[in-house]
Amino acid sequence: MSKPKVAFFDFACCEGCQIEMTNYGAEPFLELLKHVEIVEFREAMTETTTEPIDIALIEGSFTREADRARLMEIRKRAKIVIAYGQCATTGGINALKNHQTDYKQFVYGTDSDLPHLDSKKAYGVDHVIKVDYYAYGCPVNKYEVLQILLHLLHGKEPVIPNYPVCVECKRRETVCRFDEGDYCMGMVARAGCGAPCPAAGIPCEACRGFVDDPNLAAFEKVLVERAGFTPQRAAEKGRMFTANALEAS
Amino acid sequence: MTTSFIRSDDFAAFLTAMMEAVPVYGPVAKRSRFVFERLEAPDELRLDYDVTILPPKKLFFPPAQDLLRFDEAGVEAALEPTEKVLLGVHFYDVKAIDQTDLLFSERNYDVNYMGHRETTTIVASNIQNVSGRAFFASVGTDVQPEGHDAFLTAIEGGYVFETRTERGEALLGYGAFQPATDAQIDEAARVNAAALEQCPEKLEHGTEEIATKVRAAFGDDELWNELAADCFSCGTCNTVCPTCYCFDVQDTWNVDQSGQRTRFWDGCLTEDFAKCSLGDGGSENFREQRGQRFRHRIMRKATYLNEKLGGPACVGCGRCSAGCTADIADPVRVINRIMAS
Ligand code: SF4
Ligand code: SF4
Repeated sequence: MSKPKVAFFDFACCEGCQIEMTNYGAEPFLELLKHVEIVEFREAMTETTTEPIDIALIEGSFTREADRARLMEIRKRAKIVIAYGQCATTGGINALKNHQTDYKQFVYGTDSDLPHLDSKKAYGVDHVIKVDYYAYGCPVNKYEVLQILLHLLHGKEPVIPNYPVCVECKRRETVCRFDEGDYCMGMVARAGCGAPCPAAGIPCEACRGFVDDPNLAAFEKVLVERAGFTPQRAAEKGRMFTANALEAS
Repeated sequence: MTTSFIRSDDFAAFLTAMMEAVPVYGPVAKRSRFVFERLEAPDELRLDYDVTILPPKKLFFPPAQDLLRFDEAGVEAALEPTEKVLLGVHFYDVKAIDQTDLLFSERNYDVNYMGHRETTTIVASNIQNVSGRAFFASVGTDVQPEGHDAFLTAIEGGYVFETRTERGEALLGYGAFQPATDAQIDEAARVNAAALEQCPEKLEHGTEEIATKVRAAFGDDELWNELAADCFSCGTCNTVCPTCYCFDVQDTWNVDQSGQRTRFWDGCLTEDFAKCSLGDGGSENFREQRGQRFRHRIMRKATYLNEKLGGPACVGCGRCSAGCTADIADPVRVINRIMAS
């Protein structure tokens, strides 16, 4: 049986998640290559492909109308699409601009009229195409991507957490940020990271986005009552990685 | 069994001798809170702790526990229990261990829990400081703590050490113990009785009465939705609870085709807990609403298991009350409210 063909594609992003894919270390990576054939991977090889693909891993958000056709073309060729990294899964930090109008002038100054900078609101790629699996995180957790691939190679459904970061903090007995007079987004943030930030004494910023059904009304209430936020700051707190979810709520 | 006394001055030497012979776990400070950890030095032990973040069950039933390891050649069990002493367990946590001991051993004998449990000698200790949300004095009052091998009580000038089993008796060999006097035994009894007077929270009714009335409130959707309005489905109230024992089992693979089967703590408050496969990619969640999940936990703690356990599946440690960021999980507030309605 020929090895499944895997390709990596990037849209609006920093390509940090793709770089993260090169960080497994030689041994596990070479072992992985025994089981899959990588046919396109811009950060690591020059070859590209127009052939059918078994698994397409897509990084980056959809923010330029011009990218729609390319996304649809990838979807057509790929049996399985995995969105990986927060830009591709929810729009990520690119969506921070979604509630503003002056970002182009602000960021690019006199170059702001160049055609390739003609972007609209930023969304996860599922705004345009069907996504089969999501690997969340900014940056993505490379071991989670690996685990999703290994599940698929074994014909199993990958398990992607839909519980808040609190679960992982408690499992590792992290002292709650709120108990130390701080704020935290852990109660609405999607777990799966292992909760390293609160364990290091800093709040969770929900870099994997929200759980499927975040209780945002209670979240704002707790930020105001327990962390001393103003109501406006509480309402906008989720914006960094979850602007689209906030807008939809 | 015997009742002995050890002077404060001799206590560190007792711990040191014991730690040299066997791993000893006890409460230690972690930032502003406490956790059960393996002791590295005798002065880490904080018998003055109020409550730990996680209950001691984590030593028998770890938050993530490999059950099996497998590769193309076959499967092998991952369990490797080692002898250890768990020191400084408050009586409410002993009562909770009694419950998990029963639940993991009756009918289907769970070797992965019992293997660790059977290799652990438990020394309970008196409660020197009561945590801010505790109500252990008013819950399951006719249930006595059983599963400990010795009980340590701090009194003036030292500790009274009552052994309950041969294993507890064996620990006497590590320290300069002498028979306790009647006065010392009386003082220990007074100290333990006094701790029961200090709970900041209190259930106002007996176990039976609560069980009946809480169960009768099952159909009051408005009540449960209101109680759970601020719930994050974060499962903290489950994760920190000494009597919660649900788990999920998942396989993970390594790149070389070997892998492991691991069980993780699960919690009935999380959104997907009750999501079941219907096959062919379909699924059904039979507790889809926050209110239903919130109700389920209160029912489990106050009524469903009472017959099997001989008392409520809550020991009044107050961990859920203190851990809930929305501050809605407190069983005392929920139960007292239902009882008053
Ligand atoms: S700890 Fe509180 S917010 Fe979290 S699941 Fe329990 S009741 Fe809900
Ligand atoms: S329900 Fe709450 S108070 Fe009762 S045993 Fe569990 S964590 Fe402790």
